[in-house]
Amino acid sequence: MKMFALKSKAENEIQMHSQLGAYMREHYLMYIMLIPGLFFLIVYKFLPLYGITIAFKDYSIFAGNNPLDAIAKSEWVGLQHFERLFASSSFIKVLLNTLIINAYKILFLFPIPIICAILLNEIRNKVYRKLAQTAIYVPYFFSWVVTFGIFYSLMGTYGIVNTGLSALGFERISFFSDTNVFRGLLVFTEGWKEVGWNTVIYLAAITGIDISLYEAARVDGASKLRQIWHITLTGMSSTIVLMLILKVGYILDTGFEQILVFYNATVYDVADVIQTYVYRMGLGQSDFALGTALGLFNSVVAFILIVGANTVCKKLLHRSIW
Amino acid sequence: MFMKKNETGIPLEASEKVMIVISYIIMSILALCAILPILHVLSKSFSSASAVTSGSVLFWPVDIQFETMKYVLRETTFLHALKNTLIVTFFGTIISMVVTITTAYPLSKPSFKGRKVFIMLYIISMVFFGGIVPAYMVVRTLGIMDTFAALILPFFIVHFNMFIVKNYFEGLPESIEESAKIDGASDIRILVSIVCPMSTPVLATVAMLYAVNYWNNYFHAVMYTNSTAMQTLQLFTYNTISNTQTIVERLVAGNYANVSIDGIIAAVVVLSLIPIVALYPLVQRYMVQGITIGSVKG
Repeated sequence: MKMFALKSKAENEIQMHSQLGAYMREHYLMYIMLIPGLFFLIVYKFLPLYGITIAFKDYSIFAGNNPLDAIAKSEWVGLQHFERLFASSSFIKVLLNTLIINAYKILFLFPIPIICAILLNEIRNKVYRKLAQTAIYVPYFFSWVVTFGIFYSLMGTYGIVNTGLSALGFERISFFSDTNVFRGLLVFTEGWKEVGWNTVIYLAAITGIDISLYEAARVDGASKLRQIWHITLTGMSSTIVLMLILKVGYILDTGFEQILVFYNATVYDVADVIQTYVYRMGLGQSDFALGTALGLFNSVVAFILIVGANTVCKKLLHRSIW
Repeated sequence: MFMKKNETGIPLEASEKVMIVISYIIMSILALCAILPILHVLSKSFSSASAVTSGSVLFWPVDIQFETMKYVLRETTFLHALKNTLIVTFFGTIISMVVTITTAYPLSKPSFKGRKVFIMLYIISMVFFGGIVPAYMVVRTLGIMDTFAALILPFFIVHFNMFIVKNYFEGLPESIEESAKIDGASDIRILVSIVCPMSTPVLATVAMLYAVNYWNNYFHAVMYTNSTAMQTLQLFTYNTISNTQTIVERLVAGNYANVSIDGIIAAVVVLSLIPIVALYPLVQRYMVQGITIGSVKG
């Protein structure tokens, strides 16, 4: 830019424009390359933004030639659907469920992969290390449906767990329909599927730590626990913080497919979250406007959380999530 | 490299020995927790109906039989659902890879005019989602309900994957591309014959991420398809687990005395796991590699 500094502003702009034109002619292929991706953005990401207006209308899907045309032909009703939403007891229920289930998941599951990675790092037999590491993250690649099938097989009324319980003289537990244990089942299965994978992420962070730090600590006579605390955990700290920020930032996006697959009408009280409720009301019961309104609420809060998480990330770790 | 700690020649302290023993015990328990449930369903799918219903099957088949597998393969739409999922995964992954690469390449060039605007568009659409209902209305308007297109469109580009590829492209040395440019190669030529071959590890990782996404997705199938002809593997598996009544009727009608509902559920789970397990060495190689490339960052 320095070379333009002496020229007048007008000349400056003319030159910039002709430069841009020349650049675009030379690299027109680069712009063509972007078209398929932009097509996707417009169709599946930006067109639905127009669809958000359903939340403010008396929407009838058959009012127009197609569902989007119907939006334009439906009457505006202001915030009526939001009033209906915020006045319903279901809203508070699904909001609380979303927060509680995710809080449990973070509380119980967040530390486990960190501990696993530290323990796995202590194992010196390379073959065993590799075997254990490979085994624990197999479930990460399973779909939620398959995970559901496996746990239904294990913990259903006549599954191996209940057979064992009754053989030992205990009552059978209806894991999939008892409101007292269902959230526990969600946390447990999430752990089963995700812990191994997160362990691998932390393990990658540990292998980046300088080995000579341990040697120095040993010469100084530091105990194993002190080494772990001062060297391993300190070396992992930025990865730990990043993962925690991401977990909190994406609180509203996670767990949806899991719950959709695992839950049923008997556990709606403890397991119905914002997204499952949007799906059931908005599409299942065709209350499109209510579904859109709650979906919009979800998107706005998610947006604030994610942008907030990114700001914290930039401040603390000097890196951006994206 | 983990043996290096001992190179100082200092003998292991008691605290270190205890730590190692604890590590072995806990990691063994966790590895068993991950593997035994899979072994259990595998055993159930090959055990007799009486053994399955009496709960005597643990981690090895009891009264081994193949009737359950035969039932699933012959009497259900499993193979058809498998075919659908294979089509979606195969074509979906190819399309997604092409679009991801062609988007990531221009955006990775610092000199690309308009780069910031396009990147901003992707970031905005990544952090703000229109919602399930509006997305459903768009798919209906496009007239692609109950088609493969509806199952591929949502994963056309996964932003996260695109940014991984873009970041990787940014790290490639500029000099090789420069010399090709002097030789008069077009941008597409450079991308196809220079940039892509230099990026095979990251491209393999991202292709794997897409394939697993397509293979495992259940939600889009529930939302955008409704006919049995379009049923995917995940939908079929879910329906089998939750609609046991129809199975009972068919078992009675088909005279499958040695087949139980729990056995069928186990068999369906096992069959839908085979491709993932078969490709596991490949999957794990590239996925772990993906972590070191920096998949934590989007």
